[in-house]
Amino acid sequence: MTRTRRATAIIGIGQTDWSGDWRRVRAGEKPADSVGYAARAFQDALRDSGIPKEDIDGLIVGPTTAYERMGEVLGLNVRWGGQADAVQSILQAQMAIEAGYAKVIALVYGNDQRSAGTQYGGPSAMGGQSFLSYVYHSPWGMTSQGALYALTLRRYQHERGLSEADMGQVAVAQRAWASMNEAAIQRKQITIDDYLQSRYVCEPLHVFDYCLVNDGGVALIIADADYAQRMRPDPVYILGTGRSDLNTGATSLEPRLTDYYLPAQQQAGASSYEMAGIGPDDMDVMLAYDSFSVHVPLALEGYGYCEVGDVAKFLTEKGIGPGGAMPVNTHGGHLSESYMQGWNHQLEAVRQLRGTAGDRQVAGAQTVHYTSDVAGKCMSVIYGR
Amino acid sequence: MEPAPTPRPVPLVHDIPFWESVEQRDLKLQCCAECGLWRYPAGPICAECNSEESTWERVSGRGTILSWVVFHKTYLPAYPAPHSVIAVRLEEGPLLISNLEGPEPEGSWIGERVVLRYSTMPDGFVLPRFALDRSASPAPA
Repeated sequence: MTRTRRATAIIGIGQTDWSGDWRRVRAGEKPADSVGYAARAFQDALRDSGIPKEDIDGLIVGPTTAYERMGEVLGLNVRWGGQADAVQSILQAQMAIEAGYAKVIALVYGNDQRSAGTQYGGPSAMGGQSFLSYVYHSPWGMTSQGALYALTLRRYQHERGLSEADMGQVAVAQRAWASMNEAAIQRKQITIDDYLQSRYVCEPLHVFDYCLVNDGGVALIIADADYAQRMRPDPVYILGTGRSDLNTGATSLEPRLTDYYLPAQQQAGASSYEMAGIGPDDMDVMLAYDSFSVHVPLALEGYGYCEVGDVAKFLTEKGIGPGGAMPVNTHGGHLSESYMQGWNHQLEAVRQLRGTAGDRQVAGAQTVHYTSDVAGKCMSVIYGR
Repeated sequence: MEPAPTPRPVPLVHDIPFWESVEQRDLKLQCCAECGLWRYPAGPICAECNSEESTWERVSGRGTILSWVVFHKTYLPAYPAPHSVIAVRLEEGPLLISNLEGPEPEGSWIGERVVLRYSTMPDGFVLPRFALDRSASPAPA
């Protein structure tokens, strides 16, 4: 069976109060646990969709909540279920719907990473069970996912002629977008100078190159196109998807340090462009997974927004911030809006395509591209109206 | 006061000969007996030719710095900030993450030639590390 364009669509989006919970957690409160955040986001998405809960026949939960407990809490006894990260959840929902295993799928994610004190580096760094590279080099003091990207960036800057100030364009642009987003946690604008003078965490990465670590939840309702059209005037369609992985040499960091994920991004991009019948030049908004700023230049090159080697020029001359030629991470991304591990980017895609993104709305946006390349597992999702 | 313990390697069965060779100060890496492909980390089969036969081969210890970072935040008690980490491309091909001991290069470290050293940590754990190779001329990056 050939996967088809416009077969599935997002019809509901929901989220928790990221900035409110950020303040509460910093004041020592514990607003919810991961399941609680996910449940609140689900309620919000269900309200937004306007559909009866009884119509939901599929459930996908994020990696941070147990599937069974999540289904129990939400009262969902479905005929198809799964657990995956943000982008894989989208791809799985698309596959399940197109294959006829479900018609309306709830995707829910909740994470109490801030209040629970989740460590992304050090003796009890999370993620080591899934990615050996996160923990393998700890005898030499190499720890934290940021450090892996710092090592990548140093080499990449050397090869691509990307200066520290060029790199600062990412954090500055995303903060400028976030300043127009009431839901964003960090909204105070910064300059390239602020960036350059900020402290290093793992040099060459500055603190502004790191994602936030905050509590919260996100939920999406994805349905088959017929149902979506019956229930809503503004479904956001999945036009194309693609995936390509680099696993060879992953633990010794080969795909990061020598390829910068490029071949996988190019292949994932090509698959999705072919399915959607459009390419990077047709995109109105580009949303890149950005646990670290480094993902953005890699994605701009890898998914064909600029020639390989031209990213410094693209960032400084074309621009990715408000008023720039290519709006990137218009919500502020993980660096400034909220670190919902790829999930909040899907909300932004829907808002831009519904035309409800407020001050940061890209006028007349018809297509949004989401790119993800976590540890060289490259995925591309193209959304359209 | 007890020295902070060196973070121990992830316990992987196939890595045992690697760490034994480090302790004997005679670094060996796993190599496919059929096609000669190096495997680091070690593994049960060759990712290239699927052979289950492998040998452990001594490496020259010479390599080139591919990239480096400096931690300005302390994550591990054994490694207070500032702490640097290097990625080294061995002459034989494998890519190793390690540390640079002794003098540091001025400016960029990329392309600097390095040689293997064995370092005994304060808690007695032995690590394969590198030092600048003063006998070599810089390699093209």
